[in-house]
Parts: sequence; structure tokens; C-alpha cells
Amino acid sequence: MNQPMIQVRNLTKNYTVPERAPGLGASIKSLVKPQFREVEAVKSIHLSIDTGEMVGLIGPNGAGKTTTLKMLSGLLYPTSGEATVAGFIPWKRQPDYLRRISMVMGNRSAMNWDIPPLDSFKVLSEIYRVPQQAYQQTLDELIALLDMEALLKKPVRNLSLGERMKCELVAGLLYQPDVMFLDEPTLGLDIAMQRRLRTFLKKYNDTHAVTVILTSHYMADVTALCPRVILIHHGELIYDGDLDTLAKSLAPFKLIKIQFASPIDNFSEFISQFSSVEELPSEQGHHVLRIPRQEIPQVTATLLEQFPVADLTVEDPPIEAVIDQIYEEGSV
Amino acid sequence: MRHLKLIASFFKVSTQAELAYRSNFFIRLLNSFLSLGTGVLSLVVIFNQVETINGWSLPGTLALLGIYLLLGGLRGLFISPSLESVAGMDGEIWQGTFDFTMLRPVDKQFLVSFRNWRIYALFDVVLALGVLIYAIILLGETLSLGILLSFLLMLLASVILLYSSLLAFSALVFWNSGFLFTWIINDLFQLARYPVGLYPDWLRLILTWIIPVGLMTTIPAQALSGTLSPAMMAITLIFSLATLAGASWLFRRGLMKYASASS
Repeated sequence: MNQPMIQVRNLTKNYTVPERAPGLGASIKSLVKPQFREVEAVKSIHLSIDTGEMVGLIGPNGAGKTTTLKMLSGLLYPTSGEATVAGFIPWKRQPDYLRRISMVMGNRSAMNWDIPPLDSFKVLSEIYRVPQQAYQQTLDELIALLDMEALLKKPVRNLSLGERMKCELVAGLLYQPDVMFLDEPTLGLDIAMQRRLRTFLKKYNDTHAVTVILTSHYMADVTALCPRVILIHHGELIYDGDLDTLAKSLAPFKLIKIQFASPIDNFSEFISQFSSVEELPSEQGHHVLRIPRQEIPQVTATLLEQFPVADLTVEDPPIEAVIDQIYEEGSV
Repeated sequence: MRHLKLIASFFKVSTQAELAYRSNFFIRLLNSFLSLGTGVLSLVVIFNQVETINGWSLPGTLALLGIYLLLGGLRGLFISPSLESVAGMDGEIWQGTFDFTMLRPVDKQFLVSFRNWRIYALFDVVLALGVLIYAIILLGETLSLGILLSFLLMLLASVILLYSSLLAFSALVFWNSGFLFTWIINDLFQLARYPVGLYPDWLRLILTWIIPVGLMTTIPAQALSGTLSPAMMAITLIFSLATLAGASWLFRRGLMKYASASS
């Protein structure tokens, strides 16, 4: 059997953070005798990710996502636990390991801002010892996929955020890493650019079988790219599985959106006969009903039979609402 | 070989970045001539009044000025631009981009020390070499091959000392990320313009052994004047290598600290 690309056991990270009461007096006191507090950022996480998988690492701010990514990339020593990525222990940061992974961050730039991207790429290819021919080939492929020929000769400083992000992706993929850590790659991008980057990542993953761990606050990124999600909350792994199952187990409801051909007087009365159906605020002239999955056929049939229905749709609740519910409740 | 190739790449890219700002060229050229001019002028004024200062003649002092300018030039050429990009409020550690540096499959100390170059500092280096050669011509007949070799060896030790001191002070950034510690060296370095023997005892001790900027210029100048004892030469060499080892150790500790606490 093949070894998983990423294997994590009991991975834990505690930080010591300075703690200080507000006010000048406390500031002076902390100068003489600083107080520290131990924070558990990641608590005993287990994971196993296969080659070529795209996994979404989700959780609210401060959940421990970035800390986990940093341990797996080798930037941080864990407090305890084990991990192997591509057969290496990440935090040893062996050059052979570093050549096989890549980290792209939406809020930090790996580019030199004063020169055109093409020059930065060339230096990176030398740092990563990419042979000239392979470099040119990979570069041509990435440039075509990202449609960025026109950007190559402008200084990075003059590029838009979306254009710069394309460059960051090229910088991260030039040496054809096996594992890619993407930390909020679509942060701050407009919808069209987000979609373009997603399409690119999907295509790239299909052709190169790169293993990807992606963190994002845009659920659209996760739903488009990651069949599997790992949910972290307060440093604990609370769900690891496919996104659909998560949504179903969390939201055993669906939404019916309905519009009538003529005004209806007794609709609220009609609703009240189903104890499990709840009417939500209407949206753009549509009544919205929240209904347990198993009652959908019966309610829909009754609605169609008794009312002059002009339009009726059955939808899953938006994934954001589902995730928000977990963040609020702290468990699945 | 690979490292030399990388340095060539870093130099090329830095030069490209710097040439984008054309006015810098003239300002830097003016700056180099001014710093040479004021240095030479002050020596001419002094040696118009006296033959020697504390045993230092004009050629010896001129050689010292040349060494001072040369070290300053090398510092400005790559040591400071590279090391200082890590520290300070717009530095990599404060901005969080040091993560990328940590993930490059290259020795981190090498990367941090050689990746940024300021080509205009080459003016300083060329002018400094001019002053040095002129001083050597003035010293003329007293020079032998042995003296020249010991001078070059001591010059190398000085470059190592300068680099190590700046590396050590830069490494402190891992303990206090917003602050640029290298200014301590940059300010004190001004004192290296004159022979360290001219300063009061307590200052001389500091400038020799604690923050050895005095040592960096005085020792090679003494070697060139033929007044440096073999014992002092050996001590300087050992001291510079020990400082390099100490600074590298501190830098590695800094990296470890970064990897256990950054967020």
C-alpha cells in the first residue's frame, strides 16, 4: 500500500504569550516582571492525506489553521507529536524536503516588488535548482494556464492584487512541488479573479496530482476545490470527511422558495399545520420555508395542489450558514 | 560554485532594481566623492600642522582611511542591504515574509547575507582602492611581499569581523523584531576613521574587543606600515574567526527561536 503524502499523529502546538492588564501601571509592572500564559493553538491532531488529494482546512479565525500549516511546512516546531510530509519530518527543513513543498499565502508576498516577475522567477529557479529546460517548460505551462503573458515584464509593484496573486502561484509552482500549502490564496480578490484562480488550481491538480491543503474563509473556494474538508475549532479537529456529508449531518433541512401567481391570504395558516416547517423572512417576493429533508415530498405536493404556484425551488442551505452554525456551537 | 552562481543572480537582480531609479546614480556618486573628500581633507589639515600623530604618519593614516572607506564600501555593497532587509519595521520578520526565506532550500545565513546588493556602493569601493593604492605608493620602498601579504590577510580578517558583528547584531532581531540593532555598529563605525590608539583607554578597549570597529581599520593599517607584531596578527585572525563562529551560532539560535514562536 502506498504511504500517505501527509501523515500527522498527535500534533500539538502551545504558544507562550505575554499577558498584560490594561493601563500604564500594568505596563510598567510587566516591564519588570512580565507575565506569560500558555495557549494551546493546536491540540493533538491526527490526519492522513493521500497523494493528489485537495483538502480544505477550515475553521474560524484563531482556530489553529495557520499554525497547523506552518508546522506541516516546517516553519514551526511542534510542542509534541509527529508528522511526515513526502516522507520527511517537516521541521528539520532539509533542502530536499523544501524543494518538494510550496507555501502560497494570500496576505504575504514572496515576490521582489521592484523588478518584473520574470526576473524573480529566474532567481527562484536557481535557488530551487530547476534545470533551464524544465524551468522554461513549466513557466510556459503556468503562464498559459493563468493567462498572464502581459504581466511578466511589469514591476510587481505596478500589478493589481489579482495579478500579483497569479505571480505568487507561479513562484510557488515553478519547481513542481509535490505538496502545496495554500493559506487564503483568494483573500481580497474579486469574484471573477477568485473563480479564475480556482479553475487554475483545479486544472493544475488534475494534471500534476499535487497534494494540496487549502485554508480559506471563502466557502466557495472549498466547495469548488476540496471534496474533503478538515474542520478545526479551538485547536481541535472536529470533523474530517467530505463536505456534503458534513452539510447533511449539520443541516438536516432544506429550503423551499416559492412564489405564487396571485396573492394568498391563508398561507401562514397553512404553514402552521406542519409543526416542523418554519417560515423564514421572504426573499425577493419568494416565501422561504425551512423543512426537514424527509418531509420535502409531502409538503411540496401539498403546496402545488392547494396554491397557484408560479415558481418553486428546493435548495440546500448555503454552506456559509452551515459552517457558521458549527463555529457558533463549537462541535459537529 | 553554486553559491557563487546564486550571488551572481542576486547581484544582477538587485542591480536591475536599483537602476530603475536613475537619480540615485548621481546622488550616490556625489555622496561617495563627498565622503572621500572630507576624509582626505581632514587628514591634509592635520598633517599640515604635525608630522605624526601618536606614531602615525600621513601615508599610514591615509592607508587607514582607505581601509575605512573600503570596509564602508563593502558594508554598503551587500552586507548592510542584505542583513537589514530582515530587521526593522519594514523588515521581513516584522512583515512576516521571513517565512519564505525559511522555506528556501538554501543555507539561511548565506541567503540572508548575500541576497541584496547596492551597486552604487561600488563607487566607494573603487575610490577606497584608489586611496589605498596611493598610500601604498607613498609607503613605497618600505614595502615587501611579506608585508603586503600580511596586510591582505588582516584586511580579510577585518571584513570577517565587520560581517560577523553586523550578523550578530542583526540576529538580535529574532528577539525583538521591530528594532534595527545594526545602527549601533553603523554609528560606532565612524570612529574607525582614525587610528584606535588616538582614543582614551576605555574607549580603545571597547572599540578593540567589544565592538571591534577600531580593530577593523587599525590592524590592517598597522600591517601595511610594518608595525604589527606576528602575535597580534595571530590574535586578530583567531578573534575574527571566533566572532564569525559566535555570530553564526547566534543567528542559528535566532532561527530556532523564530521557528518555535512565530505566528
